Amino acid sequence: MATDISSATASETVAQWFRRSSALRCTVVLAFLLVFTFLSVKAPGFLSISNFVNILVNNFTILAIVSLGMTLVLLTGGIDLSVGTAMDVGSLLFISLISAHQNFLVAIGGGLLGALATGGFNAVLIGGLRIAPFLATLGTLFIGESVQQLATNGGQPIYLITGTLTPAFGYIGHGTIFGIPFSLCLAVALIVIYYLLTERTSFGRKAVALGANPNVAWYSGARVRCTSGLVYVLSAVTCGAAGIILSATIKAYVPLSGNAYLLDAIGATFIGTTLHSEGRPSVIGTMLGVLLLSIVTNGLLLIGWNFYWQQVGTGVLIFFVLAMSFLGQRLRA
Amino acid sequence: MEPVATSGGDGFQVNGAVLLRAGSLIGFGLVIGYFALAAPGFLSVGNITNVLEQSAILGVLSFGMTIVMIAGGSNVVTGGIDLSIANNLGLSAAVYAILLKIGQPDVVALGFTLLTGLGIGLLNAIAVVAIGILPLIATLTVMNICAGFELVITQNTVLQASSPLLAVLAGDGPFGIATLAYLLLIVALVLIVVIQYTPFGLRLYAVGGFREAALAAGVSVDWYIATSYILSGICGSIGAVLSVALLSGSSTGSGDMLLSVVATALLGVVFSRRLVPTISGSLLSVLFIGFLINGFQLTNISSYWVNGVEGLLILFAVATTSLVRRIET
Repeated sequence: MATDISSATASETVAQWFRRSSALRCTVVLAFLLVFTFLSVKAPGFLSISNFVNILVNNFTILAIVSLGMTLVLLTGGIDLSVGTAMDVGSLLFISLISAHQNFLVAIGGGLLGALATGGFNAVLIGGLRIAPFLATLGTLFIGESVQQLATNGGQPIYLITGTLTPAFGYIGHGTIFGIPFSLCLAVALIVIYYLLTERTSFGRKAVALGANPNVAWYSGARVRCTSGLVYVLSAVTCGAAGIILSATIKAYVPLSGNAYLLDAIGATFIGTTLHSEGRPSVIGTMLGVLLLSIVTNGLLLIGWNFYWQQVGTGVLIFFVLAMSFLGQRLRA
Repeated sequence: MEPVATSGGDGFQVNGAVLLRAGSLIGFGLVIGYFALAAPGFLSVGNITNVLEQSAILGVLSFGMTIVMIAGGSNVVTGGIDLSIANNLGLSAAVYAILLKIGQPDVVALGFTLLTGLGIGLLNAIAVVAIGILPLIATLTVMNICAGFELVITQNTVLQASSPLLAVLAGDGPFGIATLAYLLLIVALVLIVVIQYTPFGLRLYAVGGFREAALAAGVSVDWYIATSYILSGICGSIGAVLSVALLSGSSTGSGDMLLSVVATALLGVVFSRRLVPTISGSLLSVLFIGFLINGFQLTNISSYWVNGVEGLLILFAVATTSLVRRIET
């Protein structure tokens, strides 16, 4: 790209200004700072340690973990509509095994295995049969819905009886490590793992190459189908972990509850892509996106907007962030 | 990103696609045949009308989605898709019900409802064409905005509505067949003619099929893509009017229809000769799903199976489609 040759002249056009300006590349950072400042001034109690902990635990954790999986998949140029299904399957098996008085670790293993199976199914469809990811994961989503309805007699939640639970169970949902909630620690650990995986490993490079140009990746000798299958397995297992944390927190399995995270995860990941000059998903960008969504939800609640107006506000905000960044990309190109 | 085959395999290409199309039609026939034998009354006029009536809303939405997919191209991530269409229905239905509730006449209410759909379509068109946001993510945000506004104006409650027009729509037309059934077929017929048999429709396919070629041929690509989103928006509000008529009011949770709309529009591909989205194909796939649900009900199979069967159908259809395409190239 020889666009950098154009240096600043007196008669600089708007397009040239955009091209030079790195401000628009950081639309999401800018939006984040603006929203943060606005809420700090307007929302009572927003700017306090306890509220930030509250945001991180209640709004950030689950969505962040789900979005990590989505980021990896979008990085390869695919999409995973079955993240919620993997969450639900993980949660269903975990809660079922706990209520059948199985060992706590067995239940976690079972939940993760269930999610692994969901991801494996996607991997076979996408890597093996070469079905387009959107359709393959849509199929998985539909099948997952039926499976859950059949398993729960049409969508009856499974509640755990509080008295029978072991202390270890309570630890996942409500325990702390050095005062930091366990679920948040796990989320941070996963973020670090995913960051290293995508930025520092050969697997990560292959995933990026696959997303940039699958033909070139194939000619370069990357095992394209293997990589494209594996990302769905990783995504599903990660989402399974999110499902286990969610159900441990609320001590119940609610059928089809995972789908609520699907669109937010896609939104957060795409907000994150605006951080990258070529619009590529990245772990850090996605986390900023999740954080933006989390503080907006929390802040608007504190301001006193009801849930309905929050949804409008969040939607309009995301629309503007995306509009600014895509407009910037278009003018730079 | 499949390499484009420029020549060869013409004879087989036709055979493969024809085979698949015939296969899906035979599949459709077999399912209907099975239910006709297993459930007495399945093929009665009353029941067929019932299926048409129940399928009307999904059908109209599916047509809108199909138009966007035609103009946007077949790639589902970067191509055309309108995720806002189901929540468009929710918002438009709420607008219609509220206007009737505060005593506006049918004409005013209908006008504003269609304007709502038009506005949502316009917003999608601006986001996709003028700003250049990926359709998937642009329509996703518009969907959230629609859902939010619907919640704000309905306070998440069901609004009852009645009017002379709704009474006509919810009632029976000539020969005692439900008006909604007629409407589904009329809308389908109009769109089939417009999309599949006019220069406008041909250019729509050209824009989606090969953007650069369409540009080189002098087609104003942006205008056609924008039009597809606006048409889809209007389909959303037409669906809203039908839904208010069928349910005698607005309802919550319209967003749940989205995945079914996407699924039927994609499934419709296997009913077309060249394996592209068509209105007639979408009509067939909507009816297929409609008959399937109806047959399950009549034979006392749990409705929980419906989603799973739909999912398997998508996977089967797509797997065979991509197989046929691979043999072609």
